[in-house]
Amino acid sequence: MTSTPQRITTNAHYPTTAASTINGSARRGFSMSRDGHHGPRTEPPASAAEGDQPEDAVHLMLRSRWADTESNIAKLFGTDGQTRRTSKKSIAGEGAVAAATSAAAHNAKTPAPPKRSARQIDDDYGDDDEEEEDELQKESPLKKKAKVALPNGIHPFASRSPLPAGRALPRAAPTSTPSEPAKSSEDVRKQLEEDKKAAEEAAKKSFQSMYYTLEHDRDAMLEQQKLDELDREVENELSGGASSAQNTQQGANAGAAAAGTQGTLGSADLGASSLTLKHLIARIDMKRDMVRASDNQLRTLISEVRKGRSKWASEDKVGQEELYEASEKVLMELKAQTDYAQPFLQRVSKREAPDYFNVIKHPMDIGSMLKKLKQLAYRSKKDFVDDLSLIWANCLKYNQDPNHPLRKKALYMRKETDKLTPLIPDIIIRDRAEVEAEERRMHSVDADDSDEDDAPIMASRGRMAPKKGVSKGGPSSTKRAPTVAVEEAGDSTPAPDVKPALPLSASNLRMESLRAESEVHDASSTGFSTPPPGNATPSGLNGVHGSGAPGSQADVTEVDGLGNSIIGSTHEDEDEEDTEFKTWKQVTKRDRAQAASERHRLFRGEQLKNLNPEEPALLRSKAMMRRWTRQQKMAPTEKASGDTTMTDGEDGPEQPPQGESLAEGIEKDQDSTLPDYYSSLSAIPNIDERFKWTTDSEGFVVPQTEEWMRMYPKDLFKSAGGALNRKMEGNIKQMQDTRKICAKIGIVKQMQIQAQTYQNQFSKYEPQPFVEQDVGAVVVSEDGPLMAPWVTRAALQRSVGKIFYHAGFEDFQPSALETITDLAGEYFGKLVGAFKCYHEQPKAEAEAPRYTFEEQVLHSLHEHGLDVEALETYVKDDVERLGTKLGVVHERMKSHLADLLRPALGDHAGADGVGAFNDGSDQFVGGDFAEDLDEDFFGFRESGLAEELGLENMSVPLHLLQNRMNNLHQAAIAGPINTTGLVFPTPPAYEPITVENLGSQIGLVQGFFREKLRANHDDPLVEDEDLPQKQRFPKPRLPPTGKISSPRKRPIREQQQAAKKRRKMEESHGKGMDAPVGKLRLEMPSKEANGVEPEKRAAKEKEKEKERDEDGMDVDGDENGDGGGGGEGGAMISPESLAPN
Amino acid sequence: MAEARAKYRTEITQMMFVSGETGDPAPDTTTMIEGIVQQQVMEMLKRATELAARRGVRTISTDDLIFLIRHDKAKVSRLRTFLSWKDVRKSAKDSDEKGGGGADAGGVEDFDLAANDPTLGTGPNVNTRTSKNKKAKVGLPWDVSSFYTEQVPEREDEEDEEEEEMNAATLQRLKQADERTKGMNAEEYLHFSECRQASFTFRKGKRFREWAGFGVVTDSKPNDDIVDILGFLTYEIVTLLTEEALRVKATEDALKRESGGDEEKRGRKRRREPGLFDPPEEARTPVGPKHIQEAFRRLQRPDLKANYMKHIPKGTWQRPLKLI
Repeated sequence: MTSTPQRITTNAHYPTTAASTINGSARRGFSMSRDGHHGPRTEPPASAAEGDQPEDAVHLMLRSRWADTESNIAKLFGTDGQTRRTSKKSIAGEGAVAAATSAAAHNAKTPAPPKRSARQIDDDYGDDDEEEEDELQKESPLKKKAKVALPNGIHPFASRSPLPAGRALPRAAPTSTPSEPAKSSEDVRKQLEEDKKAAEEAAKKSFQSMYYTLEHDRDAMLEQQKLDELDREVENELSGGASSAQNTQQGANAGAAAAGTQGTLGSADLGASSLTLKHLIARIDMKRDMVRASDNQLRTLISEVRKGRSKWASEDKVGQEELYEASEKVLMELKAQTDYAQPFLQRVSKREAPDYFNVIKHPMDIGSMLKKLKQLAYRSKKDFVDDLSLIWANCLKYNQDPNHPLRKKALYMRKETDKLTPLIPDIIIRDRAEVEAEERRMHSVDADDSDEDDAPIMASRGRMAPKKGVSKGGPSSTKRAPTVAVEEAGDSTPAPDVKPALPLSASNLRMESLRAESEVHDASSTGFSTPPPGNATPSGLNGVHGSGAPGSQADVTEVDGLGNSIIGSTHEDEDEEDTEFKTWKQVTKRDRAQAASERHRLFRGEQLKNLNPEEPALLRSKAMMRRWTRQQKMAPTEKASGDTTMTDGEDGPEQPPQGESLAEGIEKDQDSTLPDYYSSLSAIPNIDERFKWTTDSEGFVVPQTEEWMRMYPKDLFKSAGGALNRKMEGNIKQMQDTRKICAKIGIVKQMQIQAQTYQNQFSKYEPQPFVEQDVGAVVVSEDGPLMAPWVTRAALQRSVGKIFYHAGFEDFQPSALETITDLAGEYFGKLVGAFKCYHEQPKAEAEAPRYTFEEQVLHSLHEHGLDVEALETYVKDDVERLGTKLGVVHERMKSHLADLLRPALGDHAGADGVGAFNDGSDQFVGGDFAEDLDEDFFGFRESGLAEELGLENMSVPLHLLQNRMNNLHQAAIAGPINTTGLVFPTPPAYEPITVENLGSQIGLVQGFFREKLRANHDDPLVEDEDLPQKQRFPKPRLPPTGKISSPRKRPIREQQQAAKKRRKMEESHGKGMDAPVGKLRLEMPSKEANGVEPEKRAAKEKEKEKERDEDGMDVDGDENGDGGGGGEGGAMISPESLAPN
Repeated sequence: MAEARAKYRTEITQMMFVSGETGDPAPDTTTMIEGIVQQQVMEMLKRATELAARRGVRTISTDDLIFLIRHDKAKVSRLRTFLSWKDVRKSAKDSDEKGGGGADAGGVEDFDLAANDPTLGTGPNVNTRTSKNKKAKVGLPWDVSSFYTEQVPEREDEEDEEEEEMNAATLQRLKQADERTKGMNAEEYLHFSECRQASFTFRKGKRFREWAGFGVVTDSKPNDDIVDILGFLTYEIVTLLTEEALRVKATEDALKRESGGDEEKRGRKRRREPGLFDPPEEARTPVGPKHIQEAFRRLQRPDLKANYMKHIPKGTWQRPLKLI
């Protein structure tokens, strides 16, 4: 392994924290939660030297496991204690082996903590050994204890450490192959086999440590499609003849088998591939004497019982099955080198290279080879290999340019071929008849060796290794070739006399053995007791692997070669792509292609933009379902484990009940090589990280909630400040302003009608501007809108209310508001529903969505009786135009108010305003005219009154002008008065004049007061200002003209009436009274004082005290009224008196 | 019912003529129009009564009627102009009675007619009268001015754009009438202007009341204003129908001309290339009942707004008659 992919240190909690690096084209991340490594995994050994040890370790381990299996079998049959002992022995040895392996692992810098042993990496891998394991457990309940220890010692190693071991192997393999030609082809094959296995393991391993993305699936799919097409093509061309031929061959085979001699009959039993049959055969071999049937019969029997045979199997042709199996396998693997094999898959057409056939006389390609294979056109390995190399040679020949890209590919392919060809057994196909004839001849020669009755069987079995592949190939043909190689390897070692080229030696036994079954090993091992270590190791390894889990190996083995070659390729630096990724690509290609094509089917159209509703949904297959349930089962364990490390998928196979694992065994071949996270069907979506269950050091659960709590953004429940909204608000404000003016007009009008106004008669219209209140601070724990129907409804209600106001309704009934809100809510709901509907319309053929955004909006508007025009009309007519209308009305109101207040500027007034006085000047009460004059007409500014009274303009304040407005405006002027009062403390009130203190007054007035007191029945006199409002003497006022006129000039009706009254009163009292200031000078106090009861007066005086403050700012003090301001008295004109008569 | 419908044959004929129809539509056509108009008037009365009842009043007010057609702003505008002129007329009458007294009724009526319908163009005496009697706008309860508690007299200088827009529609009508009368000689024009004075209600108050089903459709006895408004509206309806029907007919004619080929094969003299010495083209054929029917259908076509509340379930529900 040249690359150093990032590995997970298992303590890393979650993938989200992981940094991902881009390596080559593969994106790497940390694996998801399924990775279960506890300790940091180290890099695989980088040098070949180091790799040797793990290799040995594997061998040892595998051998011991094989021995274990054997012992189990022996125990099952319960023959003698010997086997049991041996098995025990082997077990004991195994412990040592385990120790050794772990030591080796440590040497190889692969610390595999013992704890690890409890875990298995992957379901996939677990499946591989599972069957065997199950079997073991079933068979040896007695040894269970030992088993538990042992498999744990070994098995984990097998599943775990293959990575380091396997990683190391590829190093050795390619280098050793060329450098040590002396090495037998079996060894090479064996190593290749191991490499593949290792590579596959590595790939599987990498699923856990790397996160692969889907982007290469498309290529994989297309390539796979191409390959499938090729296969189909070949198949179509050959289908008819081949199949029928095969059938006939099968029949012939059976027939020919019967012709076998007795001595070799046992070997025919090897046709059985399953363990059960293997045992059966062993049994039969043991009790051969007691079996009456001839070998021929047995062979026929077994071959009938046998599960199935390879499509290449032929009774007539000896060796065909093996050769073709291997050849096909090689071809397939070459073909699967999609990056390189692409140009060689099909014939070179004339169109592509017009001069091709001038240069190349014998064109060849993989497709043609497949055809030839199907046509059974190859007679020997040589034929096949020649054709193969012809392809590359052709290519190199045609493309002379050394830089030609195809050259590179051809070279690569040739290397691959070189690597793979050793896998093909060197067999020359011969007719059975011929073989058997030879066999008979040999037999007759050896006939005298009758004492070796059983021996041939054993021997043949021992050497029959190549057959094994055949036998096993029943369910899955793909597995055959590797096992063939494996067996051969195993075979060759113990039997030194056997040359690597088995068929060439062509002894009759050998010939027989070609068709014999592979189970020999097991049988022979039991028979021969413990095999010598050197011998047993390889065979045991292979035997176990080959026979132990036949089904599960299906895709695994297929992949092996690829992995091997890949590793080789990286070794040669042919590809800059990261090895691991490449391995991944190769290993999982088929599954990925399948997954991708499944996904692909869900879409349709040229651009694949549309979901195809017709296509059935992707469903989990049984295997996937099992996988899924396993994950499900694991979930609780994961949760329970306090440390955040996720347990591995490995736990699954150990936990599930037997029945389930049996089922797994049956359908093993459906298992996918893809990691869980890769397939959309097998994966379970990750739980949100925030739901993690964590405890602190004291075991308390750490609440995770705070982390994702957030404040709800502000202002989401207020209407957005759009242009329209601003306009509407402007309109509303305008309305309020206008209403204010309206209220003023109303007051003025009312004052014109009413003679008397009261303090509380007019409520001041003081509208508050509309302020939209946002919701308070809300803390939410999720994204998305706040789902609070009542709040949203209230918000909508507020908006509706606003629109109401905007439409001119100052107030409205709650029920109306509710109704409209409901309607609006429903309407908007439907509107949005329609929009969503249009938005999610399935796409048509076009790549764009069916409706553009604009169309979506328009459609949904139309659906609900709206169009853009209507909206525009609304905005234009009901908002904008309303705004101008409101403005117009506002102006109108203002001018009307001005007209009311300033008649001088009205229509009736002449050019110079003189006309205004014709109607009576009391319309000047408004006092606003000063504003129009825009000068300090009354000298307010000069005198500082302007500031004091808070006057904005230079008009006379209404309250100053008009008495009756006093009360109305008291509130407004209360402030300034209070402050002045504070500045100058109120002088003590004058003592009321009584009989007692009359003497203290100056002499001049004593007489006057005496008069008064007498008139008042000697009660204390009341000050004018203390009189009740109505009895008070009218205050002198400044007329609107601004001139202080002589009182006599304007006789006033009221005063006249008052004077009359007074006279009457005086008459009634019989008191003549002086009129000190003439007619208009009224003596209100005395008159009123007479009529008032003493008790009442006290109360009234209190009231007066209050009012004094308020009246303090009146233009005239009450002293004026009292203290003989004769001239001013004449100026006292009440507004009513000014009314036009 | 047939004889009932025949009550306004001349008026309808005249109205149609003013709207651009030939002088003599078939009786069928007028009968159909009359039926439609009657239906419309009755519907209006019915709805206005309902509206009034909702206010708690039994008598229909002008506002109720105007409310029914409030969405057709141009029409409302014309109606308001009409009503304000009616006011003018009334006050003019009053002042005439007071002052002149001797003004003959006919003169007043003449003016009345001219003022009755702004589309009639400017009569000679309108200008003189206008200056004397200030035209008062008819306020509507849903106008902006009614937002406020105080009603304020309008000022002279204010003429909002809405008004101008509505006037534009009116002017368009006037222009059409002008176009139509351009080529007329004095007699023809006289006839035309006479026709323009056609009314369902003018001087036929009693007949109209009977015809419209006063007292049947509505309990109350609508006042003169209502009748006048209805008279105005009926005129509008006939105009609208006729114009639409003419359009229908124009399309039909165009289509016939388009597919004139096979038409020609059947009746050769029907279509011919216009030659130099051809006799003058035949007068236009009047619109037939089918055209009126189609026009009515088109006018009844629900507008988009009808979809507003369609999501609210209402059971078996028949679309109400649309007021033209």
